[in-house]
Amino acid sequence: MLASAGVAGTIGRALLLVGFVGAVFGAFAAITGVRNNEPRVIRLVSRFAVLAFAAAVGAFAVMEYAMITRDFSLAYVQKVGSWSTPPLYNFAAVWSALEGSILMWVLILSGYTLAVCFWMRKRMNESLAAWAMAVMMIVLAFFFLVSFVPANPFAAGAPGVLDGPGPNPLLQNHILVMFHPPILYLGYVGVTVPFAFAIAALVTGRVGEGWLLATRRWSLFAWGFLTFGIALGSWWSYEVLGWSGVWAWDPVENASLLPWITGTAYIHSVLVQERRGMLRVWNISLLVATFSLTILGTFLTRSGVLNSVHAFSESGIGAWFLSFFAVVLIVSVFLIGWRGDKLRSPGIIDSPLSREAAFLANNVLFAVFAFIVLLGTVFPLIIEALQDRQIAVGAPFFDRLTVPIGIALLTLMSIAPVLPWRKASAETLQTRLFWPAWCGIAALVASLALGAYGLAPLLTFTLGGVSSGAAMRQVVLATRRQGLRGLVGRANGGMIVHLGVIMIAVALGASNSYSKSQELSLVTGTPAFFAGHSFELIDVIEVRDDRSISVKARVIVDREKTYEPAITKYTRIGMNVGTPSVKASLTSDIYLTLEPPVRQNSSTARIKVFIKPMITWLWIGTGFMALGTVLAAFPGRRRRPTEATSALVPTSEQNAL
Amino acid sequence: MKQNKSVWLLMFLLVGLLLAIGATRSGSAKTQQDRIDSITSNLACPTCSGESVFVSQAVAAQAIRLEVARQVSTGTRTDDEIISYIEQRFGGQVLLVPRATGLDSLVWSLPVASLIISLWFLIRAFSRSRKNKPSAPSAQDEKIVEQALAESIAKSRQS
Repeated sequence: MLASAGVAGTIGRALLLVGFVGAVFGAFAAITGVRNNEPRVIRLVSRFAVLAFAAAVGAFAVMEYAMITRDFSLAYVQKVGSWSTPPLYNFAAVWSALEGSILMWVLILSGYTLAVCFWMRKRMNESLAAWAMAVMMIVLAFFFLVSFVPANPFAAGAPGVLDGPGPNPLLQNHILVMFHPPILYLGYVGVTVPFAFAIAALVTGRVGEGWLLATRRWSLFAWGFLTFGIALGSWWSYEVLGWSGVWAWDPVENASLLPWITGTAYIHSVLVQERRGMLRVWNISLLVATFSLTILGTFLTRSGVLNSVHAFSESGIGAWFLSFFAVVLIVSVFLIGWRGDKLRSPGIIDSPLSREAAFLANNVLFAVFAFIVLLGTVFPLIIEALQDRQIAVGAPFFDRLTVPIGIALLTLMSIAPVLPWRKASAETLQTRLFWPAWCGIAALVASLALGAYGLAPLLTFTLGGVSSGAAMRQVVLATRRQGLRGLVGRANGGMIVHLGVIMIAVALGASNSYSKSQELSLVTGTPAFFAGHSFELIDVIEVRDDRSISVKARVIVDREKTYEPAITKYTRIGMNVGTPSVKASLTSDIYLTLEPPVRQNSSTARIKVFIKPMITWLWIGTGFMALGTVLAAFPGRRRRPTEATSALVPTSEQNAL
Repeated sequence: MKQNKSVWLLMFLLVGLLLAIGATRSGSAKTQQDRIDSITSNLACPTCSGESVFVSQAVAAQAIRLEVARQVSTGTRTDDEIISYIEQRFGGQVLLVPRATGLDSLVWSLPVASLIISLWFLIRAFSRSRKNKPSAPSAQDEKIVEQALAESIAKSRQS
């Protein structure tokens, strides 16, 4: 067994080296081919892309094989592998620590590189495509190198180890571990594609709108997966962690939120550039910011400089990522400065009451939002560096500062969708906002009738009403005109995404403001009451398997169904993990956790009950966002601004688009 | 149009009034547990990595939860006093919301400054746009547009 294990490590490492060399040669071929105009050299780029992808798939497969066969000659398998881990969680154990997650990054990035290469296969002779491939290859080479040297998953482990602890218990008790990390990575890594095209546009000087239109779908794809990945993370937090929350403002969560914020700003402001040719520097800066924030985020959370529940053990990759981050920033800023005159925008904003002005305001808000999240995340580091003193910046800080931003964004979402490009008159605005305004008043009256209180949540509900009215107006107009095709395309799909965002905003407003909780000491046979619900303990049972001992309290809620909040002790790691049990409904969730200390076969148990209003709407809203993103990715019926015919009949409805 | 304007005025008044009612009334009384939760979510668990006392399952966090619960149940201290008490015992790093004193105040002032600066940028962009009103198209411009229109219509008829 040990003999074959050495083989796995050697093959894996060799494959990483092959991938690195392939990526370097690919970048080299792309650059020299396009500079000397040699189609034969350029044709090699796709071969190198295939080679790098094959190497990455091979290395990942070797890692999986080693994990599945519990090849304990590898240090990584010793760290996260165990004979007692069930097969599915063992499969996911590959990405449950630093080295494996970098390997997954390599795999996904090489997939993107190959996909872009295939997509651009007929246009590889164009300098823009070739340079974009070169940038992708260089980034890919960097990650192969990180995986080969500082985060080597194939390092040999101590001899004689026959079993390991398995992955962190939190990574082996819910099926989402299979989906949340890969989906998040698809988004996180996917922003490399538009970034590569932005850099290529700068290098080649072809900063016109062509590259933007070309990468629109890639940006949307990455953004969609980032959104979905973040939402799955929230769901996981809610279902697994047992503190009844969906977002803890943990540094790793912030690291995934930061590129999401700048990416969201980008997919809005890019419309202004497509339509009016403005904001060129700004859009390129947003793409650079989005990509470099993924690198900075990885540095902050994977180098051990910040404390986080997600953080893996300390490692030497910090310096690598920080240097790469610096290189990306310096090169980008230099290129933007160099191309400054070409980037100067031809147009100006005609009126503050116009679609483009609203997008600009949206971008300003998102920029402040990103700044707040970044500042709060790194602030403990700044204080430690300057005054050698430990402080913490946590959820209450972020909540306090981001609620006003969220309300301001909802206000924009109420007005912006009805604004025409260039200029709106007060009358247009009054007519178009008439029904949305009534929706807002209806929402306000309804929430007051249901007992809502407090300025921030009430503003959220009111603006939620107005903005959903504005979004519905667009969708209704489009479907009335075009039938079901009116749901497809960027503007209409975008409005479905807006509806999802509004549901999430309202759900967060309600659940953050009106949650209630109570600890109950239950005795079998005597029901306890809280917030109009009854809780009756049946018994406390114990379930054992070869990796854990689980104590469950069986509680009947409202005399209907049994719920089983549990505490599981993972014996190999010696860690207790609470597992909540949730009774979900559209109006409000009942969330039960079992409180320590627990004893089996006891007739008493202490449970904590949370009443969380409207949580289900977070997940419904996520569904709407995903659906809207898919609809937006389909080509809608768009007028081409360069075609003179498209400007023939300016009706008021057309202006609405 | 005038009628329309008065409708809007009415709407704004109505919303203002309803918001004022909603903002001043309070919900059902807070339970002790609600107080405990809100206090503990402002405190960092001293032994874990980046979790609040409210979230954490660690022993130290449980101990602090019990202490907070004890102080809440005696009812003599306010939330802020309890937080200050815990801060004195464990040091500044248990506060999840930095105080607005000394260097720490930057974490509050910088976001506000960034908002003011970006609003200033926005206002400047808008005011510049008002000064640079595009000039009316010249006869030559119109001719070019006409020609382009005719060409593209002809082209679309051909295809």
